[in-house]
Amino acid sequence: MSNDTFTAFKNTLYRELKRMVSRPIYFISTFVIMTFCYIFFLTFFNEGQPNKMPIGIVDLDNSSLSRQFTRNLEATQQVKVVMRLSSHKEAREEMQRGNIYAFVEIKRHFSNDAITNRRPTITFYVNDGYLIAGSLISKDITYMSAATSIGMQRKILRAKGLDENRIKGIIQPIALDTHLIGNPWANYGTYLLNVILPGMLQLMVLLMTAFPIGVEYKQRTSREWVENANHSMFAALTGKLLPYTVIYTVLGVIGNILLYKYMHYPLNSSIGWMFLATFLLVVSSQAVGVIFIGITPVLRDGVTFAGIFGTLGITFAGSTFPVEQMPTGTRIISDLFPIHHYFNIYVDQALNGVAIHYSLISYVIMLSFLILPFFVFDRLKNAAISQSYPTK
Amino acid sequence: MPLHKKIISILKDILNVLKIEFQTMFRDRGVVIMFVLGPLAYPILYCSLYKNETLIDVPIAAVDCSRSPQSRELLRHIDATQNVAVISKYGTLAEAKEAYNEKKVHGVVYIPADFSKKLATGDQTSVSIYCDISSFMYYRIINQACSNSVLAMSNQIQVERLNANGITGESANVISNPIPYNGVILYNEGAGFASFLMPVILVIILFQTLFLGIGMIAGTSREENRFHVLVSSSVHRGGTVRVIIGKSICYFLMYAPWAFYALELIPRIFNLPHIGIPFDVMMLMIPFLLATIFFSMTVSVFIPNRETGIVIFMFMSLILVFLSGVSWPQSNINGFWRAFAWMYPSTCGVQAYMKINTLGADLHHISFEYISLWVQSLIYFATTCWAYHWQIKKTSKKQLKEDVVTIHI
Repeated sequence: MSNDTFTAFKNTLYRELKRMVSRPIYFISTFVIMTFCYIFFLTFFNEGQPNKMPIGIVDLDNSSLSRQFTRNLEATQQVKVVMRLSSHKEAREEMQRGNIYAFVEIKRHFSNDAITNRRPTITFYVNDGYLIAGSLISKDITYMSAATSIGMQRKILRAKGLDENRIKGIIQPIALDTHLIGNPWANYGTYLLNVILPGMLQLMVLLMTAFPIGVEYKQRTSREWVENANHSMFAALTGKLLPYTVIYTVLGVIGNILLYKYMHYPLNSSIGWMFLATFLLVVSSQAVGVIFIGITPVLRDGVTFAGIFGTLGITFAGSTFPVEQMPTGTRIISDLFPIHHYFNIYVDQALNGVAIHYSLISYVIMLSFLILPFFVFDRLKNAAISQSYPTK
Repeated sequence: MPLHKKIISILKDILNVLKIEFQTMFRDRGVVIMFVLGPLAYPILYCSLYKNETLIDVPIAAVDCSRSPQSRELLRHIDATQNVAVISKYGTLAEAKEAYNEKKVHGVVYIPADFSKKLATGDQTSVSIYCDISSFMYYRIINQACSNSVLAMSNQIQVERLNANGITGESANVISNPIPYNGVILYNEGAGFASFLMPVILVIILFQTLFLGIGMIAGTSREENRFHVLVSSSVHRGGTVRVIIGKSICYFLMYAPWAFYALELIPRIFNLPHIGIPFDVMMLMIPFLLATIFFSMTVSVFIPNRETGIVIFMFMSLILVFLSGVSWPQSNINGFWRAFAWMYPSTCGVQAYMKINTLGADLHHISFEYISLWVQSLIYFATTCWAYHWQIKKTSKKQLKEDVVTIHI
């Protein structure tokens, strides 16, 4: 950087810092919103896994066996029997009201039928309209139902005089053990927060790149901005955006520390790699933000598109629904979102802890986003000088 | 003034405000994007992204150390499921791990060397699976496909073993499953992702576009200091209310068709759950839109510029999705956030729509949400009146100074 450019850069930087303290929007969109997001998501998901979700039971038998079953259900982690209902219809209505996510139906003569080998059925109904609640509850009720059946089996086989080893082989010939790579607790907060917090960060970075640039055009100060930077678009942009790079990187790193050190989410590699990824997420999002405001140097359009892109980014990251299972072509589009590459790094490094060379490509792609702003330098400069764009 | 003349003059005022508001709306490209393009395109976009509902043929690897007919049969079973495909076989776990690290596969099935031997001797054997959990979906799908296949094979072996122990016929059937269980999935039979999440997103889209659009209109009139226009139309007492009613009718007329489109047509076009009675959904939409409009109008008083709303409130979209209590169950949201969530009409809107549309509830099943939305409509109407009144009074007092009350965000 030549001396001239450096002076220009410094002037722009001071100018921007002055602007930043002039209106509260700058403070709100950086510290206030990110702090709110951290507090919100960490307190919202602090359970990690939704526990003790309400279910109902329709116990028409009311025998010691059926009551035992209810007690066993109560003992599972994710289910809580909150109401006893007298009929299927009543239970279904409670489900439609949203008061319970599932109910178990135990028929009349259940206990009697079980003792006399008439194979009574336990039926449970799960509301998968609430998919997460439904599938977690379903898992626990299935487990308890199977356990009840197995208990009965064991009783019968013992009565027949079989030895314990035999019985074990009959009851469960093939045991299945499931290993969750990197996240042994299947903590739901882990799935979400590792994407949502950086997702929020990139959204705010995108908006707060389009905004501080666009507002110059809107307030007709863009000429002054460029002239102050000695007509160097490079100095004008770097000087303007550096404060945000610093602020959002610091906020992002705080986010990483909260996730990996405070919440102890899985981190199977050095936290430094996540810091680097966070920094690159900030600068690559800034680069994309410059493109948006560069295409239409109209503040309102710039922030609208940046906002839409940022919101979509959370979908395209690929955590909630894997990108490769989305329609063809989506995969290519997802590569245009810096957060998608951040997510890949998170999976490789924090979750799976694989060697760093697997993630190298993601770091390089994020870095290469920095080429983008150069394409709109001329456009931004001409628009800044001519100030011919609508302010509305 | 005689009563009927007064009523006519009030209606005229309201109609006038309505006309002006419609003109402003359609002359403003930003508002058109928010009010037309947003509710039109967003539902289609999200429905297309999530249209696959579930994962199909997720690639997994197999490490078959047993190399027996039984182990091959189990792998064939797993491969035959709709959700999982066994795309490669490796001799050791280390090789499979390499494939996993390269993201070629999302899971590994490991069958130990003594698998068939133990099956032959009547002992218990085991199978291990390793799941990618970068997404909740991978784990669920792979675990489900493998445990179903293992269970099917286990049941078959169980009967064989009982026979070998001299237990046959009905007796073997009883012992192999003395208390059968039967899980019935309701309302989203395919456990589809879109069927679960889209109803939430649709309501949030309506809420957020309406909210940001109203914010943009308010920010603009603030910038152009158009408030004194409103004041002049309210020379009579109660003029504030006329302005508010005129504007809200305008927004309501604008959004009623969108509500019908997003909440009734989109689920039919994209084959999402729609077992509710359309009339009930529309009845619900009235208080939902009113509460949203008045909520937005109240907040919009604090929005000084056109773009402020987008910069400050865009991030709320996702937070509102979680607050609505569908993806993370409402029963597990702590008291503070539940109270916070209640303040947003979107929360009751999502819950009520979900219950009618997906669970087939009637209006009386959702009385809590329904009444809440009407209460919110009233409360936010009152706050809007207060806020507008305050604004108009301040502006008319100090008409010369520009943007006095504006908190410069």
